Amino acid sequence: MMQKRMMTVAAGAVLALGLSACSGGTTSTTPTAAGGTADAANAAVTKVLRPSTTKGGTLRFGMPGDWDSVDPGDTYYGLSWNFLRNYARTLTVFKSTAGAPVVVPDLAEALGVPSDNATTWTYKLRDGLKFEDGSPITSADVKYGVARQLDKDTFPNGPTYFNDFLKDVPKGYSVYKDKNLADLKSIETPDAKTIIFHLKSSFAGFDFFAQLPATAPVPVAKDTGAKYKEHVVSSGPYMFDTVSLGKKYTLKRNPNYDPKTDPESGRLALPDNISVELGLNAPDVDNRLIAGDLDVDINGSGVQAATQGKILADATLKTKTDNANSARTWFSVLNTDVPPLNNVDCRKAVLLAYDKTGYQRAYGGAIGGDIATSLMPPMVPGYKSFDLYEAKTKPTGDVTAAKAELAKCGQPNGFATNISYRAERPKEKATAESLQQSLAKIGVTLTIKPYPTGDYFKLYAGKPDFAKTNKLGIMVYGWGADWPDGFGFLSQIVDSRVIRPAGNTNLGIKIPAVDAQIDKALATTDITARNAIWGNIDQMVNENASVVLGVWTKGLFYRPDNLTNVFINPAFGQYDYAAIGTSKK
Amino acid sequence: MAPPEAVLKGPGKIEGRSLGQIALMRLRRDKVAMTGGGVVIFLILSALFAPLIVGVLGHPPNEFHQELINADTQVPFKPWGGVSPSFLFGIEPVNGRDLFSRVLYGAQISLLIATLATMISVGIGTVLGVTAGYFGGRVDSFISRLMDIFLAFPLLVFALALAGVIPDHAFGLSGDSLKIGVIIFIIGFFNWPYIGRIIRGQTLSLREREFVDAARSLGARHPYILFKELLPNLLAPILVYSTLLIPSNILFEAALSYLGVGVQPPRATWGGMLSDATQWYQVDPEFILPAGLAIFVTVLAFNLFGDGLRDALDPRSR
Amino acid sequence: MPTTVLTYIVRRLIGAVILLFIVSAVVFSIFFLIPRAAGASADDLASRYVGKSAGVEQIHQTAVKLGFTDPIYVQYGRFAKGIVVGQDYNYGPAVEHCPAPCLGYSFITQNPVLPDLLDRLPVTLSLAAGAAVLWLVGGVSIGVISALKRGSALDRASMSVALAGVSLPIFFTGLLTLSIFSYGLGWTAPGGANPMDATSPLDWAYRMILPWITLAFLFAAAYARLTRAGMLETMNEDYIRTARAKGLRERDVVVKHGLRAALTPILTIFGLDLGLLLGGAILTETTFSLPGLGQYAVQAINNNDLPKVLGVTLLGAVFIIMANLIVDLLYAVVDPRVRTK
Repeated sequence: MMQKRMMTVAAGAVLALGLSACSGGTTSTTPTAAGGTADAANAAVTKVLRPSTTKGGTLRFGMPGDWDSVDPGDTYYGLSWNFLRNYARTLTVFKSTAGAPVVVPDLAEALGVPSDNATTWTYKLRDGLKFEDGSPITSADVKYGVARQLDKDTFPNGPTYFNDFLKDVPKGYSVYKDKNLADLKSIETPDAKTIIFHLKSSFAGFDFFAQLPATAPVPVAKDTGAKYKEHVVSSGPYMFDTVSLGKKYTLKRNPNYDPKTDPESGRLALPDNISVELGLNAPDVDNRLIAGDLDVDINGSGVQAATQGKILADATLKTKTDNANSARTWFSVLNTDVPPLNNVDCRKAVLLAYDKTGYQRAYGGAIGGDIATSLMPPMVPGYKSFDLYEAKTKPTGDVTAAKAELAKCGQPNGFATNISYRAERPKEKATAESLQQSLAKIGVTLTIKPYPTGDYFKLYAGKPDFAKTNKLGIMVYGWGADWPDGFGFLSQIVDSRVIRPAGNTNLGIKIPAVDAQIDKALATTDITARNAIWGNIDQMVNENASVVLGVWTKGLFYRPDNLTNVFINPAFGQYDYAAIGTSKK
Repeated sequence: MAPPEAVLKGPGKIEGRSLGQIALMRLRRDKVAMTGGGVVIFLILSALFAPLIVGVLGHPPNEFHQELINADTQVPFKPWGGVSPSFLFGIEPVNGRDLFSRVLYGAQISLLIATLATMISVGIGTVLGVTAGYFGGRVDSFISRLMDIFLAFPLLVFALALAGVIPDHAFGLSGDSLKIGVIIFIIGFFNWPYIGRIIRGQTLSLREREFVDAARSLGARHPYILFKELLPNLLAPILVYSTLLIPSNILFEAALSYLGVGVQPPRATWGGMLSDATQWYQVDPEFILPAGLAIFVTVLAFNLFGDGLRDALDPRSR
Repeated sequence: MPTTVLTYIVRRLIGAVILLFIVSAVVFSIFFLIPRAAGASADDLASRYVGKSAGVEQIHQTAVKLGFTDPIYVQYGRFAKGIVVGQDYNYGPAVEHCPAPCLGYSFITQNPVLPDLLDRLPVTLSLAAGAAVLWLVGGVSIGVISALKRGSALDRASMSVALAGVSLPIFFTGLLTLSIFSYGLGWTAPGGANPMDATSPLDWAYRMILPWITLAFLFAAAYARLTRAGMLETMNEDYIRTARAKGLRERDVVVKHGLRAALTPILTIFGLDLGLLLGGAILTETTFSLPGLGQYAVQAINNNDLPKVLGVTLLGAVFIIMANLIVDLLYAVVDPRVRTK
């Protein structure tokens, strides 16, 4: 499952983190002890539930499947970026706080200092930073961390922001071929505490780049390339104890982590040990959560559909849930390489005809999310409200209007094409079946084609040649913002220039006018104006009938009673994994 | 002493009964087996006439009825999985499809695949089994080794891996038909040693019997002996073991579709329906029943009939 | 006489090894040919293991490096050699050594396959062993009793249940027992509990009891039928009548003479069934979410990770062939006629 980072920007409320929660909760060592915040549905969405500073216990995470990698240079999952704050510190980091997301300095002592019209960014590291073995963390280690992940052959999974924005990176650069770090002039380390980034063009939001896992320091001597994930050297409060790839990770406290060097991030490091079990069955994760056998579903997208039904029907269980928004939209891409979807009227027919409520039901009804009318959900700055295809007025679809569009595009009796989805995702299967049923009403026949999740982007839907040859007219998809703004949400999915031969995040949106607007947005320094441009871009994409919109995601999360200090971190749209604790010993 | 019946009946013919007729009589007397046979016929007819039956008693198998599903819990509003006069077996969670019609259409696939696969197995198995048993020597050794190799494969893994990479077009078929064809081939092709062993054994014992010797001494050539002497005597075990192979193939096909191999959604298969039911057993356990019971009843019926057939043809094993 | 036994054993062992090589060659060829039959070229295969921005030339180089462009016999030869002496894989910044016996190397997880298999074997072993004990003891006893009390109500009832048992698929019975006993009554562990994480033998049994019983029921049904049929045949033999006439106690007649003869074919089948089960109880493990070899195989197939599939299939073949061999050897020890064939 390839989730992208999830951000939430709640309108307004910011809560001070820490002991003094507004309900006056005291630290508790037993679940539901008197004085702790009472269980209630959505109690942890914008506030901290059962705040605590009590250390101890083992926090048990579980996950259906696996994520790409624990190597900070090779991962693109929101859950991973959330979790790695336990074993890696980056230049800046999203603070562990409820309410609104905020980037704070982590390894750096302050946020970045721009110069040269925001094409140069300088950071100074704090004192006393150490790796797990006691060796000091220097700017060279941070540079190395960024430099090594530029090699996308060794590390194919992570984002490519540094590749795209750093100035003068030699073509095919790899620290494994060119051992001389000084050859990478885009990053300077004049002394052990200073690091300077040089960009190709201005980018005012560089602090967002600085919180990417890529800036986690990696000691050169211990780097084993693609094998580094077997023992990542920690710069955070925990270090890896045992690593059984695909099965289990266990982490223990890092004796060389000094909390005094980490005053702003909000990390609490409450548990003594952390364990992560992988490859579990999705329904079993939920069952074990409810049974008290697991503490957190690290997947962070909520419970399964069946569990949702069970929980909502039970009053007690319902109080232990949080239905949280996240900056993620489930949608499908219409492939303009596959006729007759190259004709905009044929695409509009599809968009008018499909059952919006059916798409919503595939994701669990209202609990699963709100029917989307744009790509960006309302919480992302730049969101623009429009409804081009009658989602509000005719949510089950408008057959008449659709048929009119079909006539316009020369296919009055409909046409046939294929729809692809990730085989291991029952909600995507339900989406495909729903679209198949509703589009059949206008004569559009869809043949359903599941593909393995692991290779979906490398070999199938994300490979334009394959998609075209196999007539994948509709590709079920979804996307969450890398960070909360228009660039963070849209750049990787609507910019035609990020399309590669394989492994794509943009599955086929190619609109030259949109590309031009994106460039304009990057150059616009005024935030309001910039956000407005992104809103327009969203509208243009929809006017071009490029996407079948599904839902703006909400997840139904379950939190067992023994979790302390639990809250949704709006930066990830999941429970915060770096501040959470357990009262079980 | 009372006169024998034949005399009492007067000038009628005293007929000896053939083995087949005796077997048939025994079979008819076996009520359990006849019930099984009756159910089998009923199921085959239901599958054949599925479109008609569904037209009258049900709804199209892929049609959504989401108005009958609770949007929040994703399960049917009505209890017992949404059973009602209009939806005899209830409806599926999330989309509300009619389970009665899906079970019937699933029967088509299960029976089709199982029967055709059995025919392939029996075909290959008989040919190779007879050849091995009759010609003996090196031929027998070779074929027996072949059987060993086939039996040494972990069949399910193999079938899964093979079925997972079926291309879209091949051998003049495409889409679901191609997938069904490949599954039939895989099941049939890998199951032949089961029949092959038995036929080989039977051939070995038949070969030594007098009538074969007699035929040979009369100058009969191999083809004659094979087709006119051996094969008729092999028909009985072939029939019995085919009937017993079909239920095992039904289970195999269900296993494959349970694991996600074979025809694609939204086509209904019994195994696929059970696989879907896995995530819902806590909130809609009734969803497990239609497909599961369908498999059970079908396989049981075939087993009952097959057992009865075997007993009728060879009463010692009763 | 000992030398004949020895020769027989040696002959069978050699036969088993040869069979293993043949099976491995066939399996390898099929898994080699499958993606090509689906239209993939060596470069297509290699493209799964390179980065997003890799160019055509890079992909081709990776294909060469990983050996995908070599003809099938070369690739098989390398694989076979790997089983004996281990193999090195050079795929980029590092050279990975896969120690002997190297049953394959997954390029997706970048780890040799054998450690994964050994890791998951105990789970499958737990499942198979526990269920085997239950079904052998249960199935055979019921079969014997039914045979002895032939025609009685007990006989008819148990044979009906047995017939039902062989007509049920485990993924149906498993779901039913899970929803009734695990979820409904809470008597047994929820699905997905790893038996190897058990804190005590009792906990281990608690986690496994439902899969054991559900799996054993299916086999026990078959074995009950088989045993009953076998017993009926043996009990009709002349030597049983002689034994009774000799005045032996009925129990001795049944157990020492009748059962022993009837058991031989049962044990043959038992060996084969156990071998098959060890190769991966795919359906049971999927239904109960047990992290054993079967689940590993399904995940590998779903991920198109062919080296893993190859490894698991070969391991399964090893178990089946071994089981065959052991059964044959036991036969040879017991029955002298077999050796002289």
